[in-house]
Amino acid sequence: MGFAGNTDPQFVIPTVIGLPNQQSRYGIASKRGIEDLDFHIGDEATANSKSYNLNYPIRHGQIDNWDHMERYWEQSIFKYMCCEPEDHYFLLTEPPLNAPENREQMAEIFFESFNVQGLYIAVQAVLALAASWTAKGSQQTLTGTVIDSGDGVTHVIPVAEGYVLGSSIKHIPIAGRDITAFVQQLLRDHGETNIPPEDSLDIARRIKEQYSYTCHDMAKEFHKFDTEPVKYYKQFDAINSINQQSYTVDVGYERFLAPEIFFNPELVSSNFLTPLPEVVDTCIQVSPIDTRRGLYSNIVLSGGSTMFKDFGKRLQRDIKRLVDGRVKKSEELSGGRLQAKPIDVNVVAHKKQRHAVWFGGSIMACTDQFYQFSHTKAEYEEYGPSICRHNRVFESLA
Amino acid sequence: MILLEPNSYVLEETLLARFNSEKPEVVDITLVDFDNVIYHVQTSAEQRTLLNLSVEMKYFNEVCAYGAESILQREYGDYLVPVANSQYQITLQFNLEQLPADKAGLAKHVSMLKRNVLASPFIRAFEYWESQQEGAGPLMATHYRENEAIYVQAQQDRVTVIFSTLFQEEVDRVLGKVFLQEFVDARRQAAIQNAPQVFYSSREAPLEIRHLPGLRQDESVGYVSFVLFPRHFADAEVREKTISQIQLFRDYLHYHIKCAKAYMHSRMRTRVKEFLKVINRAKPDRTTAASEKRTASGRYFRPQFRQSSATSPQQVEGEW
Repeated sequence: MGFAGNTDPQFVIPTVIGLPNQQSRYGIASKRGIEDLDFHIGDEATANSKSYNLNYPIRHGQIDNWDHMERYWEQSIFKYMCCEPEDHYFLLTEPPLNAPENREQMAEIFFESFNVQGLYIAVQAVLALAASWTAKGSQQTLTGTVIDSGDGVTHVIPVAEGYVLGSSIKHIPIAGRDITAFVQQLLRDHGETNIPPEDSLDIARRIKEQYSYTCHDMAKEFHKFDTEPVKYYKQFDAINSINQQSYTVDVGYERFLAPEIFFNPELVSSNFLTPLPEVVDTCIQVSPIDTRRGLYSNIVLSGGSTMFKDFGKRLQRDIKRLVDGRVKKSEELSGGRLQAKPIDVNVVAHKKQRHAVWFGGSIMACTDQFYQFSHTKAEYEEYGPSICRHNRVFESLA
Repeated sequence: MILLEPNSYVLEETLLARFNSEKPEVVDITLVDFDNVIYHVQTSAEQRTLLNLSVEMKYFNEVCAYGAESILQREYGDYLVPVANSQYQITLQFNLEQLPADKAGLAKHVSMLKRNVLASPFIRAFEYWESQQEGAGPLMATHYRENEAIYVQAQQDRVTVIFSTLFQEEVDRVLGKVFLQEFVDARRQAAIQNAPQVFYSSREAPLEIRHLPGLRQDESVGYVSFVLFPRHFADAEVREKTISQIQLFRDYLHYHIKCAKAYMHSRMRTRVKEFLKVINRAKPDRTTAASEKRTASGRYFRPQFRQSSATSPQQVEGEW
């Protein structure tokens, strides 16, 4: 969360709320004092997890517990952001395919509890597209395919003119957590015995973030590492979190193997075997035919697990290869009578990938149209929460 | 969290991140605080190691008359530079290469800026009381928000602080009224006899400020007066605490109105859940006699009423 107009969010905290341990026997009605104010959110909640129970109000991108979420917002506005919600417009994000009921609930809480001036609920994928406008030579359109890879799951979401093509969304069960686990496994395999077991996950994560890159060709890369180990092997210095002694870890093949699991999932998974480029390609192929060119020409990366060096280039090459192969085949089948216009494949990588959704929101909220498109308090009072079912961005299309 | 913090947490964190970062990056960050205060953190155009913090405060000219500038000079004298942009009233400049060792302390101190500036009328009033003059001191008004103001007046034996606050919504007004009534009543308890006296009136302005022109006299406005006695400000430490807490009173009040609403909403949700359970119980039993089964001990096994935890209205409708 943060204030619009900035390039980075002011706070990045986990959505976790810590509530006091003892639960009263008579349920909520017995609370007469100020127990409902006794809770922590975010990192403070994790720090106090001994005396407070941790609750995660959001599950699989959907709000699960509205009581907790309302209190989470309450504290994030007043304690973290230090602002009076009555003076501000709010931009919230939702996952694609969010139920309109959830959106209504959100609007109810924000307008009734917090009296906000205005509210706009944006789809995360669309904001990620907006964030890609900062990249060099970008087309500034709202049509494109978003590859959103965080810690738990990777989504491929086609968006046409700001409208999410819900039926073509694809999920991949490989994301940041799997890469870290894979790096950890590799380190264990090549005999890094001096990593203390309690730190090993953290070390693996840091190695992944610092040294990993995407290679062109796995076999060649292996060869390079074997012929010139001095040049490619890296040393990673770490400090034991318990006895504060420093030790070093050799970082080898995991440098290029870590991101490779997107392209060769058989490295880690036995039941999911489709590489990412192929998933993206099928995702676009099942989208409406008139949007496909636009979707190929603007593939946008978002989320922390897409930050590997040259990840975009590799993805672009692989998708291009698939597409060209298909075009060629259809040309052959037509016996040379049809010549297809070559399809332009373009993967957009930019500097704001990690918080792309937030950054896109920040850009959007700075435009003049934002105030036109958001739902105001007056409208809410006139029509009720159902106003949030309608997005005014599409008014011109209807 | 019962009380709000007097410093701006987001400003503290932002500054600390800048102070601690090893290489000076170009930043341009805008932040807000309660009461429409805007902070602008920006790297200087000429030199990357200089960090400017500009502050926009609508009421700065008002508090200047009460000596805010001397406070600024005292607290942040080393960093104060002339204002760069006319939009802002205060500019502080930090050289990232010459910071004191206690960076966290400095960030905390700077994040108290708004509190220190707004403290000036209070300090002026307490000084007036110390000088032991006859009669009432000047009435100092600070319009900290549009249509809302703090009035501070020193008398011979006490200092009166009056807040005017505006409720945008009917529900808020009612809740605020109940809340403030609680405030007045709570003081009767023996344990908090030392608390300052509180009066509350909605509509009618208190006598001290009734002569002022342009006061709103409608339903949506409320006036809260605090009477501070010497025990609240004679001691320097207590005085600072009093100032911090009293100037956030308006935000405190609005925060608690929102908390109260959140609490009521959660009770409403539990209630709805309970009612839905009752409604679900009234469903005709769809199991027929044929499906009755004997348990191992020979007794009949009847399926219990379905009390599923999934009781959102949509699902209930769907099952019918």
